[in-house]
Amino acid sequence: MVPVSYYLVLAAILFSIGVAAFLVKRNIISIFMSIELMLNAVNLTFVAFAHQWHQVSGQIFVFFVMVVAAAEAAVGLAIIIAIFRTRNTLNVDQVDLMKL
Amino acid sequence: MSGVSYFALLRLTLPQIALALGAFLTLTLDLTVLRRRAQSTRFLAGALTACCGCVAAMLLLACASGQQTLFDGMMVANPLTRLIQMALAAFAILAVLLSVSSQFTRHVGEYLSLILFATVAMMFLAGTQNLLLIFISLEFLSLSLYILTGFSKRSRASAEAALKYFLFGGMSAGFLLFGMSLLYGLTGSINLMQIAAALGGPALDPLLLAAIVMVVIGFGFKVAAAPFHLWAPDAYQGAPTPSAAFIASSSKIASFFIFAQVMMLGLAGAAGSAGWQSYSSGWVMVIAIVAAVSMLLGNLAAIAQTSVRRLLAYSAIGHAGYMLLGLAAHTQQSLEALIYYVLTYALAAMGAFGVLGALEAEGVDELKSLGGLSRRAPVLSFCMFVFLLSLAGIPPLAGFFGKFYVFVEAFRAGSGELLWLVLLAIATSAVSLYYYLRVLKQIYVVQPEADAAEAIHTPLLHRAVLCVMAALVVLLGCAPHLLLQWIGQAMR
Repeated sequence: MVPVSYYLVLAAILFSIGVAAFLVKRNIISIFMSIELMLNAVNLTFVAFAHQWHQVSGQIFVFFVMVVAAAEAAVGLAIIIAIFRTRNTLNVDQVDLMKL
Repeated sequence: MSGVSYFALLRLTLPQIALALGAFLTLTLDLTVLRRRAQSTRFLAGALTACCGCVAAMLLLACASGQQTLFDGMMVANPLTRLIQMALAAFAILAVLLSVSSQFTRHVGEYLSLILFATVAMMFLAGTQNLLLIFISLEFLSLSLYILTGFSKRSRASAEAALKYFLFGGMSAGFLLFGMSLLYGLTGSINLMQIAAALGGPALDPLLLAAIVMVVIGFGFKVAAAPFHLWAPDAYQGAPTPSAAFIASSSKIASFFIFAQVMMLGLAGAAGSAGWQSYSSGWVMVIAIVAAVSMLLGNLAAIAQTSVRRLLAYSAIGHAGYMLLGLAAHTQQSLEALIYYVLTYALAAMGAFGVLGALEAEGVDELKSLGGLSRRAPVLSFCMFVFLLSLAGIPPLAGFFGKFYVFVEAFRAGSGELLWLVLLAIATSAVSLYYYLRVLKQIYVVQPEADAAEAIHTPLLHRAVLCVMAALVVLLGCAPHLLLQWIGQAMR
């Protein structure tokens, strides 16, 4: 049987990849995908912990995270469409009307 | 938990149900009966139905009494949560009334119902002690706020603000969720009380420290504390003004309340200390650092701003620092002071944005264009005067007592170990007086520009609401015990 810690390390690596991609990527869709990656990394930790504790609440949590991620995708893509309509680009460097 | 009592659940969520029904009713009426009417009629009728929903929710809350906990802490009702929920419903009414005369959208029903849905989410957020429901309602709230930010569809700034808010919000949700999953892994429970019981013990697991940092990052984004504030100035500046007023006030109340709940209930055993030379690791230290950075960065960056809304956004970051000071003290009294502070702050911030909303039609956003406003709109100018001085913390106004109580309670907690932070807070609030007075100087001292000398007309309702809010700020400043007694009774 695979120990729980393996899952946790994998989840931490996935989460870090998500954070790194969020900071590095310039395309809005890619940034959005990196957020989804972060959420799914967390799902893995929840399932692993639910297995460790022999509980179902962690797995229920995962279902709700999926639902929330889907709702977030709906709102997020709508905002991205609004951006594309007003500027014809999906590069975040050109979304710079307001600055510090 | 043997049998699931759906009747009890129904009774406990009646206020939220009433509010959600109000939202659906507003939407339906606007899309059917009022469809072809003039914009102002639609806004007035919509606001009326929305306000009915809020008032119904407030009445239901006022009638309820006692303490109740359902489903393993998923639904909690006690006098304190009811107080917060009532305040949220009241702020929803104010937000709805302040947006009645605005012109930024033709989708009136959607706009008003989104404000109510966001309020429903905040009411769920205030009445739970369960990580799952905290996450769901926080996301429900955030999604509504993203849409409200990007609501003026043809504006480039609005879409940009919504994008930045959405991307940073999504990332913060990831961090918060990761922190929650670690807490679940450490304790095997998603109930705050059981987490606190399982964590008891002086030794801190490194994994717990990681969880604390993640949770603070997640909530830090939501309350716009530095260094996680990057979305706030853009969202406040780009969003339609009524949305910005709502984001700056209501969501602050709910986020701070649940932040305090998670920290003070769930992580009660892992507080540590943030004394100047006697610190021990725990969440108080993390909060104290975030508070110090917020106070410094918010107040110093506000000085350099030329847009009034950006200035208010940076000052909000500074205020988040003061509120975190109340959280870092983590005593019952400091929580009381924090609630008083966040309520009075929300009132003044919403008022200031309300004044800016009234001026929006005149194209006023830059600090310069406020020149000579006192001659063009004396009533609005006086309201702005009251709100800004309350935010700055000038004695006879509500903001002063908020700051005073938070600072005093932070000093008292743990025999003065937070003294360094209190001193920093006092110093930075002296700095904040400078930029608030800069705005007031533009309004009262500077001559109006030659091409903008005629008087500004604002709708009567808008002016009346602003005057009531200004009167409340003065009243709560002259008689702070009115609200404090209420909060104190609710907490006992």
